[in-house]
Amino acid sequence: MEAVVRALAESHRREILRLVTDRELPAGHIASHFEVTGPAVSQHLRVLKEAGLVTERREGTRRLYRARPEGLMELRAYLESFWDDRLAILKQEAEKEGRKRARAAG
Amino acid sequence: MPEPQADPQSDVIERKVRIEAPPETVFQFFVDPKLYVRWKGRMAWLDPRPGGEYRVAINDKAVAKGEFVEVDPPHRVVFTWGWEGLEATPPGSSTVEVTLTPDGDATILHLVHRGLPVEAVGEHSHGWDHFLGRLVVAGSGGDPGPDPMAGA
Repeated sequence: MEAVVRALAESHRREILRLVTDRELPAGHIASHFEVTGPAVSQHLRVLKEAGLVTERREGTRRLYRARPEGLMELRAYLESFWDDRLAILKQEAEKEGRKRARAAG
Repeated sequence: MPEPQADPQSDVIERKVRIEAPPETVFQFFVDPKLYVRWKGRMAWLDPRPGGEYRVAINDKAVAKGEFVEVDPPHRVVFTWGWEGLEATPPGSSTVEVTLTPDGDATILHLVHRGLPVEAVGEHSHGWDHFLGRLVVAGSGGDPGPDPMAGA
């Protein structure tokens, strides 16, 4: 998960990931959308690939990239665990409050 | 396109600049992502046809988003404007009209931004001055350098 977080910590990489979320694009095409150089974009693609966030496919001399949504599953589960904890605490508190009121009424 | 309704809560930004290049060249800076990012944005995704969406990341936090309304090369391009995640000025909440008129070998670019809430006019005026200044340089074949607004 560390590689995923590190890959996502850079805004160009987040933009690249978004670009290839619902379409497969050649590296050159991806680079044409950015103000940074082609080699810099290639470097970003390499980091994303190593983090398992994009897949690379060769077609002749071209390399095509597409987002790999499974790559985000572990991070997603991690983030969601916080919400689950929060919701469990909230539920407990609500139930405690409910019991208190029931006693006060009874 | 229907005329935007007069709204006392909104104002108009109007700018005119001269660019040392023909309209055919200047127009490309609004529809070709590679040229677009030379004057505005770290990343540009453009679908330059009526109804086509665009998304331009100015920096890490500011992402401009909207739709092309009119694409008439090399004379006129109209697009809606707004910012991802900003409630006061959401994507599509205002409209930018760009008209290009030949002036000898150069182009007069006329920009009109309508429909912004009054409190957003100052910041956007500053923004257009900044970016049109860069377009004047990039459009004529120069290098405006890295954009200080793009951040690290």
